Amino acid sequence: MKRGWIIALITSLFVSTFAIANEVNVFNARHYKADAELYSKFTNKTGIKVNLINGKAGALEKRMIEEGTDSSADLYITADAGRCGAFKAKGMTQGGLTSAAIKAAVPSNFRTSHWVGVAKRARIIYYAPERVSGAELSGLTYESLADPKWKGRLVIRKSSNIYNKSLVASLVKNNGKAATAKWAEGVVANMARTPKGNDRAQIMAVAAGEADIAVANTYYLALMLSGNKGAEQQAAAKKVKAFFPNQNDRGTHMNISCAAMVKGAPNKSNAIALVEYLLTPEAQEHFTNNTFEFPMIDGVSPNPLVVNNLGLDFKQDLKTKVSSYGAKQTDALEVMTAAGWK
Amino acid sequence: MNGDSYWTLYFFHVYKADCNMKFNSWYLSSFLISFVVLIPIITVFSSFFESTSNYYEILKNTFLMEYIFNSIILLISVLALTFVIGTGTAYLVSFYNFPGSNFFKWALILSFAVPPYIYAYSLTAFFENYGTAFTILKNLFGDANYNKNIPKFDGMFGAILSISFSLYAYVYILARASFLYQSQNLIDLGKNLGFSKFKSFYKIILPAARPAIVAGLSLVAMETLAEFGAVDFFSINTLTTGIYNSWITFDDLAFANRISFFLLLFIFSLFVLENLSRRRAKYHLNSKGGFKQKQKTKLFGKSSFLAFIFCFLIFFMSFLFPLGQMLYWTIKFPENLFDLQIIDLVLNTLYLVVLSSLVLLIFSLISNYGNRVSNNKSLNFLSTISISGYAIPGVILAIAFITFIAWLDDSIIKSLGFASIKKVFIGSILGLVLVYFIRFYSLAFNGIKSGYEKINISVDESAYLLGYSKRKTFMNIHIPFLRNSLLFIIILISLEIIRELPITLILRPFNFETFATTAYISASEDLLEAAAVPSLFLILIASLFIIISSKYILKENNE
Repeated sequence: MKRGWIIALITSLFVSTFAIANEVNVFNARHYKADAELYSKFTNKTGIKVNLINGKAGALEKRMIEEGTDSSADLYITADAGRCGAFKAKGMTQGGLTSAAIKAAVPSNFRTSHWVGVAKRARIIYYAPERVSGAELSGLTYESLADPKWKGRLVIRKSSNIYNKSLVASLVKNNGKAATAKWAEGVVANMARTPKGNDRAQIMAVAAGEADIAVANTYYLALMLSGNKGAEQQAAAKKVKAFFPNQNDRGTHMNISCAAMVKGAPNKSNAIALVEYLLTPEAQEHFTNNTFEFPMIDGVSPNPLVVNNLGLDFKQDLKTKVSSYGAKQTDALEVMTAAGWK
Repeated sequence: MNGDSYWTLYFFHVYKADCNMKFNSWYLSSFLISFVVLIPIITVFSSFFESTSNYYEILKNTFLMEYIFNSIILLISVLALTFVIGTGTAYLVSFYNFPGSNFFKWALILSFAVPPYIYAYSLTAFFENYGTAFTILKNLFGDANYNKNIPKFDGMFGAILSISFSLYAYVYILARASFLYQSQNLIDLGKNLGFSKFKSFYKIILPAARPAIVAGLSLVAMETLAEFGAVDFFSINTLTTGIYNSWITFDDLAFANRISFFLLLFIFSLFVLENLSRRRAKYHLNSKGGFKQKQKTKLFGKSSFLAFIFCFLIFFMSFLFPLGQMLYWTIKFPENLFDLQIIDLVLNTLYLVVLSSLVLLIFSLISNYGNRVSNNKSLNFLSTISISGYAIPGVILAIAFITFIAWLDDSIIKSLGFASIKKVFIGSILGLVLVYFIRFYSLAFNGIKSGYEKINISVDESAYLLGYSKRKTFMNIHIPFLRNSLLFIIILISLEIIRELPITLILRPFNFETFATTAYISASEDLLEAAAVPSLFLILIASLFIIISSKYILKENNE
């Protein structure tokens, strides 16, 4: 009997992939837990099964690239336009996300035919009100973070971080590579410590008095204020304030969570259906309340924690197309690395 | 038909082939195994001379030296720390009786249950701004900004601690085993020479245990150089993360291979060192006659207290601290407990463990038995190659495997007109088990080999003289002798697979998670609290395996 058992087990190795007709295969690199609930709502609605493979963006991309046209991947969902753009540049995506529903929902600077934004975030400045005066802040831009007045007062994460790459790419796009290279040197000179930790750690460094200003994404403060991170971080979050830079010119740097149509997707129409679903008010509300991002579509309000503590009436940079983040990524990394940005 | 008779049939078949052919089945299977294991190495080196991207130039001018420097700092510090902790605790529990010494004897190996990346999460959770340490201080002394007074165990220092506290058990187990085999005569010798305890420790006991300690340290070194989770979490640029970054982020395979080449060269020298010391260890264990069971010295007063404190501190830091932190978070954020499909995760883990153990044991038995009966030089060489997979970092293995399958598929399979084989191997349990096989084959092979080494070849010869066939010798003599080794190997493989991260992360199928991957992806999403629940379960399950196996790891009688 043991023999049959062993054989059954070995055979089970070879039958691991069965094709189920009505499905969509998602390579998912963002908000695993919250988004999983959303996908099951989609399945209940449409009968399309969502197969997930979660992981870090780099490893997922590598796997899709190596699998090539035989990849079972339909959609690649990840945070940051820089990633979607770079993935497209590698020839790994295809057009098709052009349905009327998608076009109507998403402003044109937040989408291409290969990938579309499904939620928004801004990369902003956090400051300690007791140590940073209103005069110092007035008219603050990303460009002025290189001003020597911030010497030893600024925290920001590593140059390898995609949010930083995209922010710097947008600066390269707007100011040119040479000017941005100089800017990066100024920023590095202003750093209060060698870059370490995630965005939330930068905000906490300001709360704890290690630095006066930090660069981090909008949703992190709301996450800390929500109490999901414990009472201590909730209290810490109340010690910092948010500031939206570049209000007097092009507006604050915006970024997106994006869904890209993978080249050779075996379930293309299901993938389009899923993207359309992610842009419905129901799904958008789910995003705003779980991940504290800004909604991509009109008519849905961000979570009250975001509205009350960060404000809504800020000028977004709608001039710089988010697709330039991918295009200028290599330049961005080059200037940061050359400036000694760890 | 039961399993035994199935085996009998199989081996009988192979035995007959053995008599008939020069290039027999042993040869074929050993060749096959070494070929599979060699795949990633060949893949890595095949594009060694390809031109690299612009990234290489930038990196060469700025970070390449940093990668090498960081790897060396990490390696040296971890080796120093694991040496002190491992031999220190092993010495205390093997030579002395003090309160808790019998408890610490096995409790100290529980640190194996905490992989470096979970240790890293715990360190961060406890010491970060507004972390657990802050909460404790606030509850004790009231509201104030304690953040500046709390030391920050992150970056390089955090990585060194995480890896050392997780891996020192290699040194501890091997050093202790060696200490146990030391004859009382040796200690008496020191006494007769009028040596102090300390002097006999470093003049007699330590040198005699050196091969075992070096073997332990080289295991630590290999694991340290291959370590990905903790180093990645603390964003330290080492050779391993450098390979990962240039390969994955910059698509610069050629440069990744160049770094891999240095890393593998480095690891290869450690590998040779480990093999050499193993050889010496064998000589050492074969000492015949004159073995006198050692008497443990009972400690009193201050020295007894110090011994207890040292062992307790290590036990606390390596096991209780991460366990406590994960438990605290699970209780503090209980909603995460209900979000997790615990039954599914347990079943997935069990499935991988059972399947991989089975495949690994079958092939290691065939290979070892083949080596024994045929005693062929080139066979021995092949098996030496085939155990090298353990030295290759999991990240390299997984990606090289994908690269290889993609190449095979595109250049051979499809040109012959067959359907793509990618889906059979990439993102399937089969691919996962295959790469586990490459990575953990040396564990199974060496385990059985050391079991076999204890069965003197004259036992086989006597069996043949008694008219036993080869298969009967195998079934009735070898297997009963090896039973304990086999059980122990299964437990070791299970432990490795439960904690394994990069391979599982990169190669697993759709909708398939383990405790390790769940913990990792939560942590990488800045949801350390959510990583606590899977981490806690991982620690508990691994601890269970360790407690079951402690009998084998720590066996005291010289069997």
